[in-house]
Order: sequence, then structure tokens, then C-alpha cells
Amino acid sequence: MREWAAKHRWESILIVVLAATIVVNVSLSPFYLGFGNFVNLFWLSIEKIIVVIVMTFVIINGEIDLSVASVMGFSAAVMATLYEGGEMAFVLAILIGIVAGALAGLLQGLVITRFGLPSLVVTLAGLIGFRGAARVLLEDRSVGDFPEWFERIGQQTLFGPFPVALVLFFVGLALAWIILERSAFGRKVYVIGNSADVARFSGIEVDSVKVRLFVASGTVAGLAGVLFAARVGAVQGTLGETYELDIITMVLLGGVSIFGGSGSMLGVVLALFTVLNIRNGLGLANIDGITQTGVIGLLLIGSVLVPNLARRYRLRRPAPEAMAHGPP
Amino acid sequence: MTANKRRSRVLGPLVVVALILAACGGDSGDTTTTAGEATTTAAEATTTVVAETTTSAAAETTTSAAAGGEAVEITAGDSITATFLPKCTNIAVFPQANSGAEEAAAELGSDPAEFVGPADCGDTTGQIEFMTNAVTQGVDAIMLSNNSGDQLDAPAQAAADAGIPVVTWDSPIPSATGESVFVAQVDFDETGQVMAEMARTILGDDGGEFAILSATPDAANQNAWIAAMEEVLATPEFENLVLVETVYGNDVAEDSVTAALGLVDSHPDLELIMAPTTVGIVAAAQAMTQEGLCETIKVSGLGLPEEMAPYVESGCAPEFALWSFVDLGYLAYYVAYGIATEQIVAEEGATFVAGRMGEYEITADPTRDAGLRVLMGPFSKYNAENPGT
Repeated sequence: MREWAAKHRWESILIVVLAATIVVNVSLSPFYLGFGNFVNLFWLSIEKIIVVIVMTFVIINGEIDLSVASVMGFSAAVMATLYEGGEMAFVLAILIGIVAGALAGLLQGLVITRFGLPSLVVTLAGLIGFRGAARVLLEDRSVGDFPEWFERIGQQTLFGPFPVALVLFFVGLALAWIILERSAFGRKVYVIGNSADVARFSGIEVDSVKVRLFVASGTVAGLAGVLFAARVGAVQGTLGETYELDIITMVLLGGVSIFGGSGSMLGVVLALFTVLNIRNGLGLANIDGITQTGVIGLLLIGSVLVPNLARRYRLRRPAPEAMAHGPP
Repeated sequence: MTANKRRSRVLGPLVVVALILAACGGDSGDTTTTAGEATTTAAEATTTVVAETTTSAAAETTTSAAAGGEAVEITAGDSITATFLPKCTNIAVFPQANSGAEEAAAELGSDPAEFVGPADCGDTTGQIEFMTNAVTQGVDAIMLSNNSGDQLDAPAQAAADAGIPVVTWDSPIPSATGESVFVAQVDFDETGQVMAEMARTILGDDGGEFAILSATPDAANQNAWIAAMEEVLATPEFENLVLVETVYGNDVAEDSVTAALGLVDSHPDLELIMAPTTVGIVAAAQAMTQEGLCETIKVSGLGLPEEMAPYVESGCAPEFALWSFVDLGYLAYYVAYGIATEQIVAEEGATFVAGRMGEYEITADPTRDAGLRVLMGPFSKYNAENPGT
């Protein structure tokens, strides 16, 4: 136990924070403990946390994808525009929407690897560009009135009390966990994140891994955009705006280094649970939106400060273990 | 250290700084496309709209209602729990509306409703979370100014399924899904009529050129009002009034000033700027005052009396109109309380007495395909005789 805690410092801290959050929530609101609320807690942020899974890979790989929220909006806008045209089977419109997300990811991945440009800059352009495309497609309209079965996907339950998107999230999470921490591909993601040059000399196809991650990021963002549309029953050009911040916040809070090369899926899951529980608890306690934003902001500052200060402190002491960046 | 590592050393902190700024700042400057954002998006004044001017209005309503039998007087009973959910909490008119709701709660011996909502009006999906939480809390009633178009259908339906009345005010749920009744501030068609009449009063019978300075191009309520006004302008009585252009200041003070000055430059014969938004009307009056143009170009529209007082006095804005958000919140609370305590039923023809505001009737909403409406109305017009402050 103590050994595990020493090896997983950040995860241990998160467990304590999460436990404290739950205790505070229980004491603040009698409505917190309840199965319905537990489902709502995930469901209200489901699109964000689905994208968090893939963002974890991207950041561990030493890159960042600021365009995810815009790609969500773009995919949903493509789907809505095709649907509105009325010529096409809606299923096809959904698929094309998601493929549009994948292509957005592919384009950015290729620009980053072929031209050696920083992903921060390229995906910032993507953030602006794909949002612009979504706004151009939909102008100022709100497209809704989707077929009933589509809205049911977003709003009704599939297995027992779980909406489809929630099932997708947990299945995706399990798969991602295995791929990141138990597969050769996951190992490459860490190695590249630690040093792309070392990875290249070791014969790892760095560019290919990066492009595949950006395609995955675009695809998942596209899927999340479609799920968002199904959940709220309407698509606007602003769909998902600023979500990239919440998504990246959860990944960083999970102890994933913004410099790449380190972090664990467990940490991210704990961070995600913590953020969702804090939001839910504050909401149920009728704390206003401004304070909620403030609390999450403080949490973010803490999450980037603490690990970096700790790392600096550890690096000053010549302890060999301090250099170990990889997964457990 | 590798090149890649060095690069990320530089970029990392950049990202972090950007994130912190964004997370803490919200997006206050954002004028995102929001159905129904707007005149309601007033500026920073915090004083309360004087209720006095609308009491005469309520008296008029009293005489016209009462068709459907004895009106139920809503009286104090059990204390209820309720959520008062505005479009956002950072705009002056919404706390004003809440103060009206608090006044009503005090009269009815009930605990005040929880005043919660998104911090920023640009956050159109934020209301979903507050609605869902209110249902989880099992409140007795929800009072909502909808900022999310049809996106609140599902949570509003969930509330209805849980037996929680959803009373909308200021901005309804377009499809009326899950909604008990909409407490409308004014008739949206009447807004067009009132604006046209004010324009005629100011321009005189011989008429002249005027322009509209609106909020955002996609603000649903402003667009409905402008469309209604254009219909009125098409009638022979108003043929001398020439609408030369409609411009948008996005409900941002600086943008609105720029747009107003642009109008002056492009229309030399302009005599009036009509701004159906509390942000735009102040900006236009400021711009005309600073440029010394108040003698030739007047300003009118929808404005908060406390913000417009100096311009009424200077003659720059001879007349403008608005409804009281305090009264709107007060009436919304009475309706929600009446339904939650089963004193009234949300159905066509039901009549009731809401405290100091008098008698009202629930009718079908003529401005939507479905849904019920309680019409607060009418406007209060403010001018030199009735500055409203």
C-alpha cells in the first residue's frame, strides 16, 4: 500500500481529493447519493470525458490537440447540414459527420509531421478554422428535429439505466487503458513523448504514431459531436465551444505531464471523477456558476503547479528514481 | 536535452497560461449566437426599475380578463422549494427579476427560490445542467428564462415527468415541451407597434429617415420585434417613416457606439436611431451626445430608465420603453407558487390574482404553435413627464 502510494504519488493525492470531494458532497446535499444522480453526473459531461480518453494519448505523446471542441462542432454541423438537405439517409449523414472529424484529424496530423510544426500552433489554427467552418455551414441557425431514434440514442437508456454514450465511454475507457499501458503501441506513445529523437533512433515510426493519434483524436471528437447533438437534440455552430479547455484540464489534473512522456490512465480517470463530482456537488448545493468556474480554475492552477514544483524539488536532489518518467 | 524536449519546455508553460486565463476569465467578451439573448441583456446598472409605472397596466388587464369565471386569489400556504434559473447571472436585469421573485416569496410566506444559472450568457448549454440538478433536488417548481432554444426539451420533460411545474418567463421553450406556462413580459407583436409609435411621435407626422441598432444578428427576440415593427411600418399610417438600415452592435457597448456612428456617416438625412436593446440605446445616446448631434438625431428604443435618465433630460432620447423585470420575476413566482401548491391549474381560461399586480388569465400562446401564456404587459413608456426614476 505504502509502496504503491510512493510509486503513484499523484494518483494517491487524487484519491484523497476525490474522497474528500465525495464526503463534502454528501454533507452538502442529501440528493448527491443516488443512482440517478450518479448517472447524470457522467451524462451531463459525457462528450467531454469521451474526448478526454484520447486526449490523454495525445498529451502523453508530447503533443496537444486544441481543435477537439471545434472538430466536435464541425462534425455535428456537417451531419446537420446533410440532414437538413433531406436527400440523404440520416445514418449516412452521421457517418459522414464522423468521417469529417477523422479527416480533420488526419489533415492536422500530416501538417504537424510533414512540416515539423508544433501541434500547439497547428491545432490552434484547427480550433479557429473548424469552428469557422461549422459557423459557415450553419450560419446562425439551430438545426434540430432529428429522427426520434437519434434523440433516443442520446437521451434514453440502453442497458438498465445507462444511456448509450455512457456505455461507449466505459467500453472506450477499458480499451484505451489496455492499449496505453499493456500494448506495444502504448509503449511507443510514452517513448515518443519522452524523446521523439530517441524514439526515432530506436526505429519507432514516430510520424506514423503521431498521425494515427491525431486521426483518432479527430474521429473521437467527431463521434462526441454527434453524441452531443443526440443528447441535446439540436446543433448550432457553437456546439461544444471552449470544451477543449475542460478536456485538457482533466488530462493535466490527472498528472499527465504537459511536456509529454508521463502520466497514467488511472490518474486521468481519477481526475475526471474528481472534476465531475466537484461540479455536481457545487450544482446540487446551489453554488452559482461563477464560483464553480473559480473552483475549477483553482484546481487547474494547483494541478499544474504542484507536480511541476514537486518535480523541480526532486530533480535538485540526485535521486535516480526521480528520472523515471514512464508508466508503472 | 533533445530539441523536442526544449520546444515543449517553451510551449508547455504557454499552454498552461492560456488555459488558466481561459478557465478563470470565462468568455465575457463573447457575443455568441444565442437564440433570445438580448434586450434582456442590459448593461451594468443595478438599481431597480420602478414598479409604479406598471400598476396602471395591471389595472387594465384586470378589466379585460375575468372571462373564465371567478379568479383564484393566490394566497400564502406551504413554503415551497424552487429554482429561479435566468439566462445568466451576470446581467443586471436578471438579479432584478430575482428580487421580484423574492418579494413574491416573502408575501407568500415561502422560502426564496434559489437564484442559480450559468455565469455567462454565451454558455447556451449551461442551463441543461442547472435544470437537471433542480430535478435531482426534487424542487417544487422551476422558473426559467430559456437561453437554449429546444435544447432544454429533454430536461424540461424530465421535470414534467417528475411532477415539477416549469414556468418560463422572459424567454419561453419554443416547442413548449415540458413547460407549464410562459409568463410573457409583453406581446412580441406589440413591441413592434410600440417602437413604430415612438418613432412617429419623435419624427412627427411628416416623418423622416430612421435606422435600427439591434443586438446580435441572431437574437431571436430582437428579430421578432424588428419583423413586427416592419409589418407596422408597411401600413398607410406609418408610410412617412423610412427605415433606411438595420445594423448590429452585438450588445457590446463599444461595438454599438461604432455602429451608431457608422449610421450617422452613411445616412446624412438620418433623424432617429431606434435601438431595441438596453445596451444599444445607451451606446447610441452616448455617441450622439459626444458628437453633439442630439439636435438632429434622436435616440429611442428599449432602455432601462436609470441608465437613460441623463439623455431624457438632455432631450437626446425624448421617449423610450421597457417593462419591469422586477414585476416579471414577481409574477413568475406567483404563477409557479400557485401551480406548485395546486391553487391554480395550468390550463387555458384559468384566471388568478397575483398579489399587487392584480388579475391575469392563462391563454393559448398566439406567438407559438403550442404552449400557454400569461401576458404581463403592457409597456411602460418613459419620457420627460415620466422619467421612471
